[in-house]
Amino acid sequence: MSAFREGGRFPDLSTAGVAVALVALPFVLPTVTLASELVVFAVAAMSCAFLLGMVGLLSFGQGLFFGIGAYVSAILLREHGWATLPAVAVGAAASGLAAGMLAVLAVGRRGVYFVMLTLAFAQMGYFAMLALKDYTGGENGLTGVPRPPLLGGLGTLATAETAYGLLALLAFAAFLLVQRVSASPFGSVLRAIRENEARAEALGYDVRAFKIAAFALAGMLGGLAGAMHTIFLGFVPPNVIELEISERLIIMAIIGGTGAPAAPFLGAGFYVLMADLLSSLWPRWLMLVGFMLIAIVLFMRGGLWGGAASLFRRLRPGRTRS
Amino acid sequence: MSGQVLVFQVLNGIGIGMIYFLLSVGLTMIFGLMRFVNFAHGALYLVAAYTAYVISQLTGSMLWALLAGPLVAALVAVTAERLLLRHTYAMPHEAQILITFAVALIVQETVILIFDPLAKNVPVPDFLSGIVFIGPFVYPAYRLAVVAVAAVVALLLWLVLERTRFGAILRAGSESTEMVSLLGINIHRVFLGAFALGGALAGLAGALAAPLRGVEPFMGLEALGIAFVVVVVGGIGSFTGALLGGLLIGIVQSVMSSLWPEGARLMIYGAMALVLLARPAGLMGRA
Repeated sequence: MSAFREGGRFPDLSTAGVAVALVALPFVLPTVTLASELVVFAVAAMSCAFLLGMVGLLSFGQGLFFGIGAYVSAILLREHGWATLPAVAVGAAASGLAAGMLAVLAVGRRGVYFVMLTLAFAQMGYFAMLALKDYTGGENGLTGVPRPPLLGGLGTLATAETAYGLLALLAFAAFLLVQRVSASPFGSVLRAIRENEARAEALGYDVRAFKIAAFALAGMLGGLAGAMHTIFLGFVPPNVIELEISERLIIMAIIGGTGAPAAPFLGAGFYVLMADLLSSLWPRWLMLVGFMLIAIVLFMRGGLWGGAASLFRRLRPGRTRS
Repeated sequence: MSGQVLVFQVLNGIGIGMIYFLLSVGLTMIFGLMRFVNFAHGALYLVAAYTAYVISQLTGSMLWALLAGPLVAALVAVTAERLLLRHTYAMPHEAQILITFAVALIVQETVILIFDPLAKNVPVPDFLSGIVFIGPFVYPAYRLAVVAVAAVVALLLWLVLERTRFGAILRAGSESTEMVSLLGINIHRVFLGAFALGGALAGLAGALAAPLRGVEPFMGLEALGIAFVVVVVGGIGSFTGALLGGLLIGIVQSVMSSLWPEGARLMIYGAMALVLLARPAGLMGRA
């Protein structure tokens, strides 16, 4: 729950770090599938971490936008024969639009009320999916989503490796966007709102409009992640729009830390790898995650990223802590 | 939809709505008193429903289950408050939400560990398994009993809040906890009492709902979502709001389930969005 660093730079050391990690992941991890899953959820967790770290908005509803992105892109690919890139783009845009519209309803409500509304909207998404079962396949989901070339017949995604290449590029683009926004004047205003809403208002900023814009941007990131999930899996299981995804994204964001644009990669990496390692050993490993979440909130606000950063500072002698 | 079906569905909705009221009133009360949002509130409902399941398996008696469910839920609430939650009162809302969310996750996983992830049926008690005639209408006896129990509890709760010293302290506390503690009242014991009461009410909702919907480990999360809708519709911190919100949501859900079965749950959230547009602070909320 630490805040995004003041006046974050673009690009900085973490930009190179993320690029290197994205290239290395498929070689370091046992399977490309695992690397792809990690990258998809890193973008989704970024959507949560951005809202909490930049604007101070805690959303239990980012899974809704993940789900919308997944379904919209799958329907475009499956029913309308779209190419991959436009389907992903429209999936992300649809989520951004939905997020903007919900933000108009929710953003006026302060604090706790806002959090409750995001959770309610996330539930609504699941029931909307069931109600629209002619389009969404209801509890069966959408199976057999094709993986056509990127655009105009160019750039085939035949193998899991090439698909990972696309997912990694998209994730890098999303990361650059968040880092760029964080370093921009827009980002400064968001931080001002997080620090003191009344003061930002008094300075003449339209706080409501800024919050709606930030929420729409975060929704778009969630939708992008959902569309990436569709490309990755080749089908849409109905659980992509369940409340459980929203919870998972919160957990990833908090564990990774919300203090830097690159932190969600750590959170998503931790969660995805733990799930892979532990789910066969002890299916109830989420209980440990619960205890870990409490420990992080009580004792280690910066999450894994914050912990690593303070370790890094301590190991570099002669530098004073900023 | 014929008039008969409509009346039946409205009656059904009142039953569901009373359960929603019991579920939400503790949440709204605790928020009103200490500005604390308990994301583990649904977990209390879950614990009580499973307690009801176990007791009815062991004894075959739903009456014991209805007593044990609230008791165990209150016990869990009090334990969580003593061990963990009271250390978070001074923290920002986000920290409280994340910690209570983690507690809910731990409870849910514990339930799966002890039982299994599968849904289970809880039998309706024998003496309530029949139907009753209300004028020309046929109605399941158990659902009628739910309405009766919930109405009695709602009345008792209202009396406690309006007519007892504890209730006066609770109401005063939701105006200003600082003032109440300056008057020499141990506010921390009041907080603990509110958690126990809120837990017991959520527990009663869970135990009453168990024979209607069965039990499964994710019902707590679903209940939390419903409770939030009720609180948003009714206005947070308001007893009457929780009652109105609960009944409205219950009736919408029940009536819509015969008009558009797939969309019944969706319409709950549609109702919430409408109320938000018309009255952003909720039906009984103070802006």
